[in-house]
Amino acid sequence: MDTTRLKLFRILIGKSIAETLFVATLAVGFFFSAFPPYFHGFGEATPDSIAGWAVNNRAPWERVEVQLFIDGRFAASGVANLSRPDVSSAGWARDEWHGYNFSVSSLSVGTHEANVYAVHESGGGLRRTLQLLGYPIRFSVDQNGKFTDLVDRGQPTPGLK
Amino acid sequence: MTRDSTHFEMDNDEQIDRSLALWEIVSVVISCLIAEWVITAVVGESHPLIAVPIVLAFALMFLSHRLRGESLRDLGFRLDNFGQAVGLLIVPMVIVSAILLVIGYFRGSLDFFRWRGGQSILGMPLLGILWGLLQQYALQGFINRRAQIVWGPGVVSILVVALLFGAFHLPNPALTLATFAGGLLWATVYQRAPNLFALALSHGLMTWILISTLPGGLLHGLRVGYKFIG
Repeated sequence: MDTTRLKLFRILIGKSIAETLFVATLAVGFFFSAFPPYFHGFGEATPDSIAGWAVNNRAPWERVEVQLFIDGRFAASGVANLSRPDVSSAGWARDEWHGYNFSVSSLSVGTHEANVYAVHESGGGLRRTLQLLGYPIRFSVDQNGKFTDLVDRGQPTPGLK
Repeated sequence: MTRDSTHFEMDNDEQIDRSLALWEIVSVVISCLIAEWVITAVVGESHPLIAVPIVLAFALMFLSHRLRGESLRDLGFRLDNFGQAVGLLIVPMVIVSAILLVIGYFRGSLDFFRWRGGQSILGMPLLGILWGLLQQYALQGFINRRAQIVWGPGVVSILVVALLFGAFHLPNPALTLATFAGGLLWATVYQRAPNLFALALSHGLMTWILISTLPGGLLHGLRVGYKFIG
């Protein structure tokens, strides 16, 4: 390969590397901007609702917007601003106002799965992303419409009442 | 050195040249796709980061011209064949314009001030011609010339240029079709009379006529790439 072709070859390699690094940096930056790792939370099925708490560790005084999905379908949205003194006393939040409680009705008898997500806005409002708080909540509904949490959590989880 | 080995070296050099030219095309296409699909999706279309792949693509094109010893005149920045290029362009342009004007008239969508929300009728084509010159330089002055190294002048290289030009306007269906057709015409004319000024003039005028005649909804505000769906 003569010098000219070799130079062109190097330029093409250099451009490819530069673009790969650029796109990789963008992808990593995008991931941390759209799905930041500072949302924490927990959820469980109580006899008549899906309840839990959500905290944004980066802005601990902020109330987190949450959305509830049941069996993969949007069910409700709200803001985690209810009193949960157990959460702050366990050291998960700076104050107690991080609880949420979704009253759910008209679910069929049987087992269901609820997922509670923290809503995060990024890119100057360009996009809203959802991040799962805690784990999926498996629960059953009996004939009287009462819920039973089916998740085996083993050891008591900090932040639970 | 024997005659056979000289032939082998020439064949080998040609093959390397073709491979490099193909790589150059792919590299510029990737830069366009990054700008249209990745950056627009991740940070938005007006973010300064969009300049990164564009600068890289233009840097490659300029360095490649320098290394291959291509002058501005070779690329088509010249006036001596302007008349010849216009002569080749005029008939298809008049036919397409007439068809578009008839469509616009019967659909009631004729509006020569539509472009950019009523921008001045004088400023509008001028902007279109400058934008057209930039696009035609990249498309013909670079991609068409490299396609000719890979596939030689003729149908295949013309088709490649037109397909790529159409693909840059995906997923906007009307614009993809229009740019594919335009790409065929401009790539053909460039191979016969390489004059970027004539092509830019044609590009600007045809864009203006397209926007002024077809219903706005059909062209989706000329949005392409992620912007079209985002």
